Amino acid sequence: MSEEEKEIVIKIKRSSKEKGNWWQEYKLKVDRFTQMTEVLRRIKTEQDPTLAYRASCHMAVCGSCGMKINGEPRLACKTLALDIVKKYGKNEITLEPMDYFPIIKDLIVDWTDFYNRMFKVKPRLYPSKEVLEGKADHRLKPEDQRELWKFEQCIWCGLCVSACPSVKNDPEFLGPAAHAKGYRFLADPRDTIFDERLKILIDSSWRCTYCYQCFNVCPRDIEPVTTIKKTRAYTKFVKEKTPVSLTGEKHAEAIAKSIEDTGKIEEAKVYISTYGLLTAITDMIYAMQNGKLKYALVTDTKVKNMTQIRKIMEGE
Amino acid sequence: MEKLSYDAIVIGGGLAGLMAAHEIAVSGYKVAVISKVFPTRSHSSSAEGGIAAYIDGNSDPNDNPDYMTYDTIKGGDFLVDQDAAELLSKKSGEIVRIMESWGTLFNRQPDGRVAIRYFGGQTYPRTRFVGDKTGMALLHTLFQRVSGLDIDFYSEWFALDLIRDDKRVVGVVAMEMKSMTPAFFKTRAIVMATGGMGMLYAHSTNAYINTGDGYAIALRAGAALKDPEFVQFHPTALYPSDILISEAARGEGAILINNKGERFMVRYAPRKLDLAPRDITSRAIITEIREGRGFPGGYVGLDLRHLGEDYIKERLALAYEAAMNFSGVDATKEPIPVRPAQHYYMGGIDVDITGQNPDLIGLFAAGEAACVSVHGANRLGSNSLLETLVFGRETGRTVAKFLSEHKEEDSNNLDKEAEKVVDDAYKFVKSESGVHFGEILNKLRNVMWEKVGIFRDEDNMKDALSQIIELRKMSSSMYVLDKSSTYNTEFFNALELRNMLDLAIVIGRTAIERKESRGAHFRTDYPERDDNNWLKHTIAYLKGETVEITYKPVRITKWKPEPRVY
Repeated sequence: MSEEEKEIVIKIKRSSKEKGNWWQEYKLKVDRFTQMTEVLRRIKTEQDPTLAYRASCHMAVCGSCGMKINGEPRLACKTLALDIVKKYGKNEITLEPMDYFPIIKDLIVDWTDFYNRMFKVKPRLYPSKEVLEGKADHRLKPEDQRELWKFEQCIWCGLCVSACPSVKNDPEFLGPAAHAKGYRFLADPRDTIFDERLKILIDSSWRCTYCYQCFNVCPRDIEPVTTIKKTRAYTKFVKEKTPVSLTGEKHAEAIAKSIEDTGKIEEAKVYISTYGLLTAITDMIYAMQNGKLKYALVTDTKVKNMTQIRKIMEGE
Repeated sequence: MEKLSYDAIVIGGGLAGLMAAHEIAVSGYKVAVISKVFPTRSHSSSAEGGIAAYIDGNSDPNDNPDYMTYDTIKGGDFLVDQDAAELLSKKSGEIVRIMESWGTLFNRQPDGRVAIRYFGGQTYPRTRFVGDKTGMALLHTLFQRVSGLDIDFYSEWFALDLIRDDKRVVGVVAMEMKSMTPAFFKTRAIVMATGGMGMLYAHSTNAYINTGDGYAIALRAGAALKDPEFVQFHPTALYPSDILISEAARGEGAILINNKGERFMVRYAPRKLDLAPRDITSRAIITEIREGRGFPGGYVGLDLRHLGEDYIKERLALAYEAAMNFSGVDATKEPIPVRPAQHYYMGGIDVDITGQNPDLIGLFAAGEAACVSVHGANRLGSNSLLETLVFGRETGRTVAKFLSEHKEEDSNNLDKEAEKVVDDAYKFVKSESGVHFGEILNKLRNVMWEKVGIFRDEDNMKDALSQIIELRKMSSSMYVLDKSSTYNTEFFNALELRNMLDLAIVIGRTAIERKESRGAHFRTDYPERDDNNWLKHTIAYLKGETVEITYKPVRITKWKPEPRVY
């Protein structure tokens, strides 16, 4: 087992209230086993004690060490220095604080807003009175346990939120981590506040754009976007729908109908079904002004073998 | 300085602290949790294998709580307080049931009941688990549960020192890390739930945050540590990150090999081979490395290859993934690099089975910070998660009862005392030149590892102790380069080092005094267990540089000491 040491350059984006922002370079030798948390620890104890970062478990279960490594949102502990050197083909690694979160100092960001979002979804089981009093026991099918456990493994690291474009644009969107947590309890057969949870989650679930950034960066493979999709499927159970969830639901129905009729998504038709004729006309003026109207007026032909498509749709 | 007032303060936001806070809050008292990390970042999250529990109607039909107690006592080499072990076993099923009812997704049997697996030292299988992330699952459940209660969380607040009068604790001074603002928390009861101290050792499976803060704070407040010489080492920690590779790997047939490809355990435990107890295996690995039969860098191989790819990925998923993610090693193609590492601290703040400390009225402790003593000289696997919850709950209940019986009393000069705590913390690091924390820290971790580690003897430990005292002197002129008043981690690292040095001196001194080998305390100059002279708990106080040691008897209910043969 060879264990070659290699000198690498670490460039860290620093910041402090007193000194503002700057980039700082460090050089150190690493081997094939060196985690980025270890790189940071060694810089701090051996070269520059002023460097500030968070790290705790160094085994990807505590979620402390989220940061951008060569621009990618990652856990420092789950990243081996030489893997990054190999991936990017150069000896230099850059470290920056996570996007979206306010920076407190160096690589340390402020999680307050993130925690508030997590608490908004009531992140805890509300069991029945009988179970709480010890008069009854839960039983849980092994397959339900496996399904829920996938989504329960969120370690509150915030990487998905730092990578999410919707959360930046839409203050009403709870964000991927809160949705994963919310869904984990929504889907738990032992929980008793299903309606209340739906009310918290539904409107927000229609504000996700399905860009899959949360899916890509999650260090525990939770797939927050999957939980959002699954939550949306519950819209039909909601009594008082918000404009966003109503529109979303209509949009989904219009797409389904379009595929059922023609085998394709007819953008213009779907648009009118979703937003209504009046909004469509208003938007059309806007589209005309921007030279995009031609795309709305493209006419599609039906797919030939429609029976096959309908079979597939029924199968789902 | 800002002054805040609570009925009780819990220091530490891991499993023990949160469970204690839960009990205090539901009894109607105002409680705050002070933690230097957000609770889900606590070291409890790293626990892997499971939580031992005897559950009526859902255990092996031959098992009973007495077997569980006996296993714990024998595992602890008879230094266990037997009433504590009995309580631990008796409450185990109830604790698992409560955590399940609050939402923990325990792995299930096909009929929907909580599943069981075997763990080292158990007569019958009784470990309950959530994949290989049991600690994380329990911690999140409990944190989520208590976040719905009326408890104030001071996360990323660093506890500096306790405030006491003649006989009682009356508060704690802590500092918000973000703003570096200190506050004086007035209170009638303090629960120390600050976890372990792995960072004292160059090699540890512990989180970076485990710097033994609670032990040192208690020592400085005048409370004793019980059995501080007992430090557990785990034989198979991944090289070089020291992430734990569970005993399950060897249980499934993995073999330890040296650089010659030899199955070296043949020489050390001819019958048990690779499944010998933790202490024997740890000593064997270190011997191989010291005698030049380890791999460059200092490790041996844990060979799984003969088990086959499918079997490894199915049965040893964590070992496989950890080796892949953290060491870049494909365990189906090459041996996993492992070496022993510090793993757990059996010693801790002296408390009885109610969680109360006898030295200071109003001081309580739970979890790894405490020594109840349920683990004695050597802890069994899956008993530590159980301890955090059982004794976290017992302690919380004791505090609630204590609060109902003890009204607030006037104490003079408290504000001055609180100011002094902050001054002391700054004084400690206010020099304009000198050494940085990192230099002292690295030396301390190395000397603890080399001389107060797996093999111990008088000469080496005396040498270590004088070095520790020297480092402690050096530390008084330590200086902090970072002058920032925002999240000054260098300042807090220096304070952590102060805590580590206070603890190290106590470990070093008590280990020199215990002239026998028992459990994890192995002396090459006294290789045998000596029940005639040493079947007793060490009780140690720190007075400046002096460690004052007394002893107290082990509580024995019905299990007489016998040779520990497996």
